[in-house]
Amino acid sequence: MKKTGILYDERFLLHKTGEGHPEIPERLSVIMRGIEEAGLLSKLVAVPVSEARMKWIEKVHSPKYIHRFAEACMLDLGELGDPDNQICPQTYDTALLAVGGILNTIDMLMDGKIENAFCAVRPPGHHAEMMEAYGFCFFNNVAIAARYLQYRWNVSRIGIIDFDVHHGNGTQHIFEQDADVFYYSIHEHPSFAYPGTGREFEKGTGPGLGATLNSTVLPGQGDEEYMHKITRDLLPAFDLFKPEIILVSAGFDAHAADDMSDINLSTQGFSWIMETICEMAERYAGGRLISILEGGYALDVLPELLKNHVKILLGLKEEQTELERKSHVH
Amino acid sequence: MFIDKSMTTDVISAGPEMSIAEAREIMAKNGIRHLPVVSEDKTLLGIVTDRDIRTAMPSAVLGQAGGAENRLADIKVKEIMTTRPVTVSPCQTLEDALLMMEMHKVGAFPVVDQVGKLQGIISIRDLLRAFVNVLGLRDPGALVGIVVEDKPGGMKKIVDAISELGVSFGSILVVRVWEEGKRAVFPYLLTTNIARVKKQLREKGFTLLDPMEWCLDEVAKT
Ligand SMILES: [Zn+2]
Repeated sequence: MKKTGILYDERFLLHKTGEGHPEIPERLSVIMRGIEEAGLLSKLVAVPVSEARMKWIEKVHSPKYIHRFAEACMLDLGELGDPDNQICPQTYDTALLAVGGILNTIDMLMDGKIENAFCAVRPPGHHAEMMEAYGFCFFNNVAIAARYLQYRWNVSRIGIIDFDVHHGNGTQHIFEQDADVFYYSIHEHPSFAYPGTGREFEKGTGPGLGATLNSTVLPGQGDEEYMHKITRDLLPAFDLFKPEIILVSAGFDAHAADDMSDINLSTQGFSWIMETICEMAERYAGGRLISILEGGYALDVLPELLKNHVKILLGLKEEQTELERKSHVH
Repeated sequence: MFIDKSMTTDVISAGPEMSIAEAREIMAKNGIRHLPVVSEDKTLLGIVTDRDIRTAMPSAVLGQAGGAENRLADIKVKEIMTTRPVTVSPCQTLEDALLMMEMHKVGAFPVVDQVGKLQGIISIRDLLRAFVNVLGLRDPGALVGIVVEDKPGGMKKIVDAISELGVSFGSILVVRVWEEGKRAVFPYLLTTNIARVKKQLREKGFTLLDPMEWCLDEVAKT
């Protein structure tokens, strides 16, 4: 069994988004309950939470934007830039804690205290641009994590895999010129889904040309198409790039039960994706992998999806199938 | 939407006596396919396209033993240019240019004033840029497809239903003939919370189109 870290704090629930908004605190509560009820919580190493230092957030976001975000929360303006980005007075502090917790996760992993980790954080991050909040996202968690790995830990090749059903426009734009951070995303085709970026011809710019890769999936598709495109696009790309660590933007809104998209991934489909990512982490990165929660809004399937996700991180997949086989016999 | 708001005013042009070798080089260097030919006082004399030059090349090769490049240097732009090309005026509109491009199967028009002087050039690229902007594709958003009866007020109901949710519009496309008596409306919405919009529209009795059926062309449905 792997030493897998878990980042969670009840303060992540303090970011409230109001009525009719899908990005709600219950998402995290049901996820943590799912992990606990499967008996996995005791197998995980808890990562301490603390507020991120501003210098790391400023590696991605402009001080002006950070200030605007802080102020909007302080004044309780209700939203930041767009009604999608609902805020409450605690949103800024919650976002700071989420980033801080992720940076602590990196420290523990780089110090060898854990081998991989899952960060159950809110708010999500991959739509957040350097100077703007978008699509429920304020600080780009995964992007700040990658910059921290570069500047604090001198990691020279970082691979980001984003399987949220929406394209991570923020993450792509932040790293599109950076040859040392490879951004791969698989998502619903941008002509049919938010945010409208992440077309297959977008491959990075300048020195970063070739270090951005997008696979698009048409409405109605599911497991087969994901397996086909990940095998065709991601596997050979990472075989060339050979990341020293893998960061995962883990969104679960491509599930058939999630009405945020027209994509129909099954629960098993998510497991296949995560197993494939973990195999790549073993092959190139000595197993080093940090998974960070993005979207996923179907409260009834999240517990099972995240239970499987964490189980795969722990390396318990085999045992589980063993167990299931036995239970079928009895 | 007048053409002078979208045209390229910094036009690269040629004089009538320029060799086609030089014209070819200028076009390649600037990545352009249309080269207006003007007199010294900027009066439009004609236009040369990269295709005109390519067509002139084989005859240049055949016509002279001294090598194609030499002969290309001898031929002047005025010998192969299209004289009296289709032009537009700065106060015609983008829609005019769009329809004329379709009609004449041409990729660019010189823009000339009343006395025939070159003011700019409007190409299919300028139109594309304008329409990418109109569609709102640079803003994060998502498209929804709705079928409605072709009756007055149908659009208002859609706009009201969406506006009620506080969602803003990037653009709205309408396909006027979808099927008999129906039109298809495609709002491009600046929100990621598209599930909420779809739910609202369904609850208000709208029929949403299967994304795999979306089409902007006027095709007869089978
Ligand atoms: Zn998403």
